[in-house]
Amino acid sequence: MANNKIKQSTGEKVFTVFNYMFFIILSLVMIYPFWHVVMSSLSSADAAMQGGIFLWPREFTIDTYEQVFKNRSIFTGYVTTLMVTVVGTVLGTFFTATTAYALSKKEMPFSGIFLFLVVFTMLFSGGMIPNYLLIKDLGLINNRWSLILPGLISAYNVIIMKSYFQSIPSSLEESAKIDGANEVIIFLKIILPLSKATVATIALFMAVGYWNDYFSTVLYINDQDKWALQAVLRYMLTNTNQAMQNAGVSVVAATNVTATTIKSASIVVATVPILIVYPFVQKYFVKGVMIGGVKG
Amino acid sequence: MLREIKKYRWMYFLLIPGIIFFFVFKYIPMYGLKIAFLDYNQYAPDKSTFVGFAHFIELFQKDAFLDVLQNTIIISLLKLIIGFPIPIILALMLNEISNLLFKKVSQTLLYLPHFISWVIMAGIIGALLDPTNGAITQWLQALTGEKIMVMTDPDYFVPMLVISDIYKGMGWGTIIYFAAISGVDAELYEAAWIDGAGRFKQVMNITLPSIMPTIVIVFILNCGNILNAGFDQIFMMYSTFVYDVADIIDTYVYRMGIVNSDYAFSTAAGMFKSVVALIMITVVNEVAKKLGNEGLW
Repeated sequence: MANNKIKQSTGEKVFTVFNYMFFIILSLVMIYPFWHVVMSSLSSADAAMQGGIFLWPREFTIDTYEQVFKNRSIFTGYVTTLMVTVVGTVLGTFFTATTAYALSKKEMPFSGIFLFLVVFTMLFSGGMIPNYLLIKDLGLINNRWSLILPGLISAYNVIIMKSYFQSIPSSLEESAKIDGANEVIIFLKIILPLSKATVATIALFMAVGYWNDYFSTVLYINDQDKWALQAVLRYMLTNTNQAMQNAGVSVVAATNVTATTIKSASIVVATVPILIVYPFVQKYFVKGVMIGGVKG
Repeated sequence: MLREIKKYRWMYFLLIPGIIFFFVFKYIPMYGLKIAFLDYNQYAPDKSTFVGFAHFIELFQKDAFLDVLQNTIIISLLKLIIGFPIPIILALMLNEISNLLFKKVSQTLLYLPHFISWVIMAGIIGALLDPTNGAITQWLQALTGEKIMVMTDPDYFVPMLVISDIYKGMGWGTIIYFAAISGVDAELYEAAWIDGAGRFKQVMNITLPSIMPTIVIVFILNCGNILNAGFDQIFMMYSTFVYDVADIIDTYVYRMGIVNSDYAFSTAAGMFKSVVALIMITVVNEVAKKLGNEGLW
């Protein structure tokens, strides 16, 4: 900004100092809970039972992780969630794009009606029970597709993509049309490659949604072998001793491990992928919201 | 007309998956709301009989539902009143930070909890508030001399819900305002500076009015959520100890519908919520437009 270097009044200087300190403290508050869990998971059972603030691991040990990894359900949860996330994100992003591209043509007959029908789903919905009964009627209970299909396209994502497609100059499409290409070809060969950033953003939004989805498992999956990661984790957190016992680990007898450290380690195991990927992809999320902020 | 349609035939072809999806997964459940008006027989749906508004009348005669409705409104109003201004203030404050690296790092950390599921957040919060070895529990004990069990104490549970919800969402909530702030014409600031306006005056007289349309739109959307007190969050954290204050419409629908299989009654409860949301968002949108703002539509 042009006026950054302008002399500040005393009040403004005080504010600047306060402002920096405020955000330093706030940043620490944001990160501490995650730090705490990681440190607690690397501490001994005794230290964890005493509790309190963990700045560093107390009586460092990785025993807890050894025990947690004996729990096979974490792996099956990972596999299910990876599968659901990949399939859901790929299909969902693609069909969001096809829908958004078709709706981006205002001159197309009935496009207004279709757009209204899409937007209306943001304002009104059938809700939990009718959704559940639908999945049941489709015979998808206990089927992993029930974790994928209901979230495949969201009106919100369609609107974001549609706004972007409308900002692409139509001259590109016109010239391709003169060369005899139909809209499907144009969409695949011209529009999608031009929209990489937006497509990536939507894909990331969807991937986070699928990765963090817990409730679909609660509603639609009974079979524990098919639980998504979040459901496995939830079970580990609420029924820690039982979950470990199912995995053949007795928390009482196992040395240096307690429910507290098991919980912490399970949280870390389920969160690490997000924490690793997050800093690198964060800027795309921001971009996505910025595009979505443009009303279309 | 037909020629027009033919001209766009490939477009309609691209639209087919979307139409099928929205029809099956959005509009069939809406049609499914009809069971709220039926004496629904889940084993032989065809034999269900029409009962009109009986389930809705039952809903409002049930103390349990009225309590749940009250809890829902209290929790979501608290979240709205306390939580709504915070991202705006944060965005305005962070915008005053001139060191770009500092700003970036702060933003990255502020957004982080948004990407963490409520399962994990509830696990972390539960650990920090653990009655025996929770860091916050011990800290509060040192501070007040009392052992406060936040997760099971009805007096503290709702404030905890509000604070943790704000914690998770406030950073992410700033992005939309940053987008609006970045669109403000820089010449306005220069002109104000020439007129001798300081930074604070510039924020109050230029930035804030410029982002007002965004603030109004976010507010309208939030009003549509007035009966969404935060299902994922509460479902992960509540327990029978705090049902009196924390049981909300969605958790009630879940227990009545999915756990007890009382489909018709719970669908009525859920439908009540959806209809209120639709009415709220429409009314607030109209009011906003009457007041001279740009609405959602």
